[in-house]
Formats: sequence, C-alpha cells, structure tokens
Amino acid sequence: MEKRKICNALILLLIALALTGCWDKKEVEQKAYVIGLGLDKSEDKGPINVTLLIANPEVGSQQTGGAQNEPVQEIITLPANDFISVKNTANVVVARELSYDLMEIIIVSEEFAKEKEFIRWMYDAAKEREIRRDIFLAVSKEKASEFIKKNKPKVETRPHKYFQFMIRQGIQTGLIPKSDLHRFFKVTEQDADLFLAMYISSKKDESTTFGNVDQYLPGELDISGSSNQTQFIGSAVFKEGIMIGKLNGQETRIAQTFDNTSNISNVMVTYPDPFDEDYKIAIRLIKKHPVDVKMSLQNGRLNINMEVPFTVEVLTDPSMANYATDSEKVKILKEHLQSTLEKSALNFIKKTQEELKGNPFSLSLHGRRLFSTIPEYEDFDWMKSYPEADINVKVKMELGEFGKQTKVIDLEKVRD
Amino acid sequence: MWTPLQRKKLKQKLQLPERSASKDIELKEQSISPLLNDCLSLFKNIYSVPDNKDVQIRELTINKLEMQAAAVFINTIADTKEVEDRVIQPLLLNRDENKQITDIVTAQTVKTVTIVKDAMAEINNGNTVVFVEGMTKCFVLNTSNFQSRAISNAEDEVILKGPKEAFNEKAVTNISLVRKKIRNENLIVESVEISKRSKNEVFVLYIKDLVNDELLGNIKKRLSSLNADAIQNLSLLEQYIEERQLSLFPSILYTERPDRAASFLEDGHIVLLMDNSPASLILPATFWSFFHTPEEHYLRFPFGNITRALRMAALFIALFTSAIYVSITNYHSEMIPPDLLLAIASTREKVPFPAVVEILIMEVAFELIREAGLRVPNPIGPTIGIVGALILGEAAVSANIISPIVIIVVALGGLCSFSVSDINLNYAVRFIKFIFISAAGIFGIYGMTALFIMGIFYLVSLKSFGVPYLAPLSPKYVSSGDTMFRTLLKNEVFRPGYLKPKDIVKKGGEN
Repeated sequence: MEKRKICNALILLLIALALTGCWDKKEVEQKAYVIGLGLDKSEDKGPINVTLLIANPEVGSQQTGGAQNEPVQEIITLPANDFISVKNTANVVVARELSYDLMEIIIVSEEFAKEKEFIRWMYDAAKEREIRRDIFLAVSKEKASEFIKKNKPKVETRPHKYFQFMIRQGIQTGLIPKSDLHRFFKVTEQDADLFLAMYISSKKDESTTFGNVDQYLPGELDISGSSNQTQFIGSAVFKEGIMIGKLNGQETRIAQTFDNTSNISNVMVTYPDPFDEDYKIAIRLIKKHPVDVKMSLQNGRLNINMEVPFTVEVLTDPSMANYATDSEKVKILKEHLQSTLEKSALNFIKKTQEELKGNPFSLSLHGRRLFSTIPEYEDFDWMKSYPEADINVKVKMELGEFGKQTKVIDLEKVRD
Repeated sequence: MWTPLQRKKLKQKLQLPERSASKDIELKEQSISPLLNDCLSLFKNIYSVPDNKDVQIRELTINKLEMQAAAVFINTIADTKEVEDRVIQPLLLNRDENKQITDIVTAQTVKTVTIVKDAMAEINNGNTVVFVEGMTKCFVLNTSNFQSRAISNAEDEVILKGPKEAFNEKAVTNISLVRKKIRNENLIVESVEISKRSKNEVFVLYIKDLVNDELLGNIKKRLSSLNADAIQNLSLLEQYIEERQLSLFPSILYTERPDRAASFLEDGHIVLLMDNSPASLILPATFWSFFHTPEEHYLRFPFGNITRALRMAALFIALFTSAIYVSITNYHSEMIPPDLLLAIASTREKVPFPAVVEILIMEVAFELIREAGLRVPNPIGPTIGIVGALILGEAAVSANIISPIVIIVVALGGLCSFSVSDINLNYAVRFIKFIFISAAGIFGIYGMTALFIMGIFYLVSLKSFGVPYLAPLSPKYVSSGDTMFRTLLKNEVFRPGYLKPKDIVKKGGEN
C-alpha cells in the first residue's frame, strides 16, 4: 500500500512537470542584447522610429578566442508602432532573439520628448517584463538615432561599459540627474514635482561663448583632442510627462543638492575669488546632512524655509591671499561664499517658479506633512501652488580643509 | 525481511538442493561424553580432521594424576606458544597428585562447559579446550590470538590537531582504545551475537549511568532480532539496523576515530564495535554529527568556528553552484552583471550543447575522475591527474565542447564537496547536486527553491532511533548548542537533551 501511494505521488509529480516546464528557457548565446534604445518621432513611415544598439558579446569579453575582427556593436533603426513589438520586427535583419535584459539607457530625442503623446510610448516600458526600472532615461538634443550613430567612445569600446561608467560618473559629479525610469514614473504619477532627465548630445554647438564652466548644455563645452565628442551635462525638465525646458549643469547640481532623495554628496565648483575679482577659487561642496525644509501655510499661501547644510573645502588660492592662517580673511571668505551660494540658489528657485512653474527637487514630499488627509493634499494642487510660494534659502556653511598645503608663498616677496 | 511464506515459495521456485541439518544439530546439542575416545571422534568428525589442517588435537597423559586427556585448538587463531607454555607443559610436568586440573594449567582464565556446541564455539574463537577421560565437562583455556594489523593513523578523517590513532580490525583493540579515553567502571561493553552461521559478535558500548535505558533496550532488541547467516562488519550491520534504507541521508554515524566515539559515549550515545571493522557505529546520529569533525573542538574557539562557517559555505556551494549556473543562464540572465553575461554568451558561442548538458558532462566527468582515482592501483595513480586536468579540462575547452566558465563552476563545486568529510553525507551531497541541476534545468531558480524546501521538509521529518534529524536546532532541545557553530568549551554545560540521558548536566559551570 505504502509503495503504491509513493508511486502514485511520483507519477502525479512527473505529470505536473509536463504542465509547466522549460518553455521560457533560452540559452544566453541565442539572444541579442540591446544596450541602448533610441526613440524618435517619425515623419511619415510610422508613429515612431526605434533605434537599437546591440552589443556583440564576442568582442572584448574573452582574453583568447572570440571574434576580434567583428564590430563591437550593431545599430539598426526601423519604423515601428512601439518598442516592444520591435523585438520581433528587428529579426528581419538581426539573427538572434532580441532581449532587453541588459538595457542601460533609453534615449529620446528632444523633439519627441516635447510631444504631448510621448508618455503613451513611455508607459510601454512599464509593461515589458524585460525592461527594468533602473534603466536611465536620457534626452538627446539631436535625433536619438543620430546620437547613437555618432557616439563612438574611443576607450570604452563596449557600449554597456561606456554607458555604465559615463552615467555613474556624471551622477556622482552632479552634472546630470539620476533619471531612472522608476523615478520618471513616480514623479509623473505624483503630479506635484518636475522630473529631470539627463541631457546629452553628440553634436558640437559652435555658437556659444565662454561662461562659467558648469553653465553649459551638452555640446556647448569646447573640447578638442581625439576624444569622443558626446557630452552628458545638464538636464531636460519634464512636467506631466512632457519636456518643457532644460537646466544647465550648474542648475542641475543645485536641484540635486536641494533634493533629499538624491544622494549627491560632494561636488567641485568654482566661484569668484573674494580677494581678487580676476580670479576664481575652486571649492568642494560636501552635503553631509539632508536639507532642512520647514513649511507653513498662511491663508492658502505657501511659506517655505530651506536650510542647506554644506561643508566647504577651499581647494585653490589664486589670489595668494593665504586666508587659511588669517581668521579675518576666513570670515570674509565665508560670508562671500555664503552669499554667492544663496544668490545662485535663489536665482535658480526664481527660474523654477517663473519659467518652469514647478520644482524639480521633490519638495512636495515635505509638503505632504501640512495636510491631514490625502484628499486635502490633492485639493491643494501642489503644482499650481508652488509658483506663488514664498521661498527662503539659507546656506548653513562650515569651512573644512584648505587643501593639502594650507599656506602659499608670498608672491610679492618672491618677485622683488 | 522475508516472511516464512515467501521463503517457502522461493524455495519451491528455485528447487534448492537443501539437505536437512537436523542430524548435525542433534550431535551438537548433546552433552560431552565421559569417554575420551567417543568425544574425540565426535570432534574429529565435526571438524573433518585430518582434512582440516589447522585444527589440532593433542592427546596426552596428565603427569601424576595419570589421566588421559586431549587438548583441541585451531593453531591459526590460537597463540601456539601460549598453548604450549600454559596448557600442555603444565599438564605434562605436573608434580602434585592432589591438584585439580584448573590449578595445574596456568592460562589466564579457565572455565568449564558441558555441551558440545559450547565447546565448539570456544574452539572457533581461538581458545583451547581440554577434554579429560571420565569427565562430562571440558576445560576452556583462554589462548585466543587472531592476526590483525597494528594501530595506525586515521586515514579518512584526518585532523591536524588532536589524537591521530584510529580503530583497527580487532574489536579488542578498539575497546581498549575507547577505555583508554574513558577510565570509568560505568563504561559497559556488552556483546550480542547477530548472525547464525558465522556467529558474528557485536560489542555494544555505553555508559551505564548516562544512557537512556529505553534507547539502549530498543537498540539491543533490534540487534538480537537480526536473522542473517553472516554479518561480517559494521558497514553491513549499519544497513541492517538503519530505519530508512532508501534515504539519501545517513542515520548512523560511521567513524574510525576512537576519540570521537569516546566523546559521543560521554554524551550518552551508544557505540557499536565489531571485529573486522576499522571503525565504530554511533547511534543515534543527527545531521550535525555528520557535518562536524572533531577538529573543530580541538581547534581554539575562533578557528573552530571559522572552519564550521567555511564548511557550511562549502556545503551550499557544492550543492548549488552548478544548478545556479544552469538556471541563471537559462532563465534569469538579467540577474548577472552585463560583463559576466556577455562573457558567458561569448564563450558559449561555439559550444554545441545547451548549458544543462554542458554542466552534466563536466559533472559526470568529475565523478568519473573521482571514482577512477579511488580504484586505480597506486603505481598508475598519476595518470588520473594528467587525464583529468589536461584532457578533460584544457582539451575540452579548446575543442569547444565545454566553455571555460563551466569548468570553474564544476571544479568549485567538486572542490567544496570534499570539505564534507563524512563519507555518507558526502555521497548524499554529490547525488543531490544532480537533482538540483535537473530541477534548475527544468524550472530555473523556482525549481531549485521548491526542491530545497521539499528537502528541508524531508530532513525535518527524518528520525534516527527516535531522535529528530535536525535536533537540537529544530525541534529545540536542551543541549550545549553545538550545531552550526560551537560555543566556548566552558559553556558546553549540557548533554544533548534529545537523548534523554540520565544525567543532563555535563559540568557545573565555572568554579
């Protein structure tokens, strides 16, 4: 009896195996891995043009063997209705099954991002299982297909490595925002703040003149040499899923320092030297603690006080003022930096209130505390109220180190 | 076990040419005849003397007493010098008319038996039996000396720090090795005869004032109920007495280390010893006793626990690496970093087999190397290394049969499986690895998880002589907490509660 029972159970188990099983099994080498996806508005052929950047695993991943003469990547652009069914359409030219497993970046042209309909296609990304929410969204100045074709990294030839490093380093320096899909969906659905996507270009813009180093948009920085001309700097601003404006590198940094959900912790910037108008000093801003935001509601009008804590390290001393040893000079330096920082912060806030009519630094999260129920908060309509709010920014500054060697030479004495 | 009905059916089917032994049995059951000649001819008949070369019958006349006598012994298993010095010479050179025979011989022990069967048993054990004309009893003199090898180093359970000696094939030596570690009158060595024809004897060792009587009774009952013609050694006995013969997991610990046996005895376990077995059986045994080695207690606290952590990691690596490789490459390729995934894809580009087959080929090859390496005669041994490393490793990769990553995966798993030193658990881990690989090939990580959970269910349901397999971790018992990690020696205060020992407190804490 016992044995028979066990036999029956085993047979049932075997039958159960046949019910499910290995139908989604796919060997790794049978897939073509899409690293980057470009989305463009199509003029006539179909709703959108999709550009696929496909990695060739055989190049650069093995010490010996492999196919070293093959190109490192394949790029194809094709008209499509959406970027999900493209996986099959692309098989007209690509020999393997397309997979979005290793996707790093979705690049959208500025033209397409400004479309009202843009968000309809973006939500396909939430449907597709293979697309992860940590994929980055970037906006290219030119057409995405053009960007992908022109982008030819010299050292990081394998595309996934290039995007991985480029984005990671850009986010660390604060010049581009951390714009993953998850954040895009979250911010869009909250309908209270603005979403920042990284702004990129592979086309050089010759028309600009020299300004402050960080105040550039991609393509504007004049870089010569043999390097790849692709630039990642600044951000594209999305309101309710539509691109409405752009921020340069410096503004992007400010937006991120205000934002407690981003983890930018230390950036290097330059500011005018308080002791000599001709020069600029380099400082390192370290944000050790989150921004302290206090809000109150008076007669339906928002009153916001932000206190940004910074530890500042002064890295250069071009005026040779030797402030490290002089407490008087330190005081001047501190006041100067504080007012400069506050000024640029207020300028930025003014821009967001007047030009963008929304805030790109998750301010609504602090605002939720003012309301006791969700309907009350929703009625308040944060997006509409923000432009009228009174906002004060205070920089709470601490001076840190003054470089490795604190004292510099007395120039007058040396050149006597 | 065969039922009598089945046995009868089997006999009918096979038409076994069986001859009734009832006449022989009758002969053996009778008492010893007072007539020496009758008696000797009976024994000559039974032992087929003179065909049987090593059975010796020495007839003599006891000096002064003037009695006819004969000494019967088997010279290959008796100490012939002992027979000569302590039995034959004293009898021949006796100078006192009034002495009893028991006083004349100088053997260590002398006892008398009256039944033929008993006398035969003594002869078969290497003792000398002296028959005397006119007596209905005979004298048994202890002269037994079986040949055996000397005590040597433990070879299968090697440790660096701690005693090196191991059991050998002689039970007497083995008992002596255990007694050397436990100098206590409560250490009892009982013997139970477990086979009918070969009369194999098992020694049951326990500490009287610790062991749980119910457990002891249960084990003794199981031993004496065995009904086999011969059970030569402990490896065979283990299979006769274990509860789940088909289970992959062992329920009796087989160890060749006397120090291990002694420490289990001191915890209230029962140890079985037997001639012809260079080992002992320890029961009941839990999962932890297979997982541990004595080294972890001999090493200092931190190092012992680091070893345990390593072994636990190795156990899981051995079980899972190949399976994880299969499931990740087949189902969850998004789980690995792009660099690795592209590297795997690139190396698999020219391999003609699916990843499961690739892994199975290498795993089977690895098992073959292991098996062949075990059986190969010593002088040819180095060939195995060359064949294994060069041909299976290098050449398989250059021939595009196997991708190099698979070699790493399989080699890592294989290496880790060696860190489980118990041979039974080692086999279990190696076999279960294959089940995991097939589960991974069919269902991916989901299948592995399901199988692992089922395995845990099974482990929890297992029992060894009434003791839950994962005790004292699950279910919880009072114990010294020696499971995945060990505690400080001074904190090992309790004997394992799942044994229900008579004295649970091992030491009274710090003085």
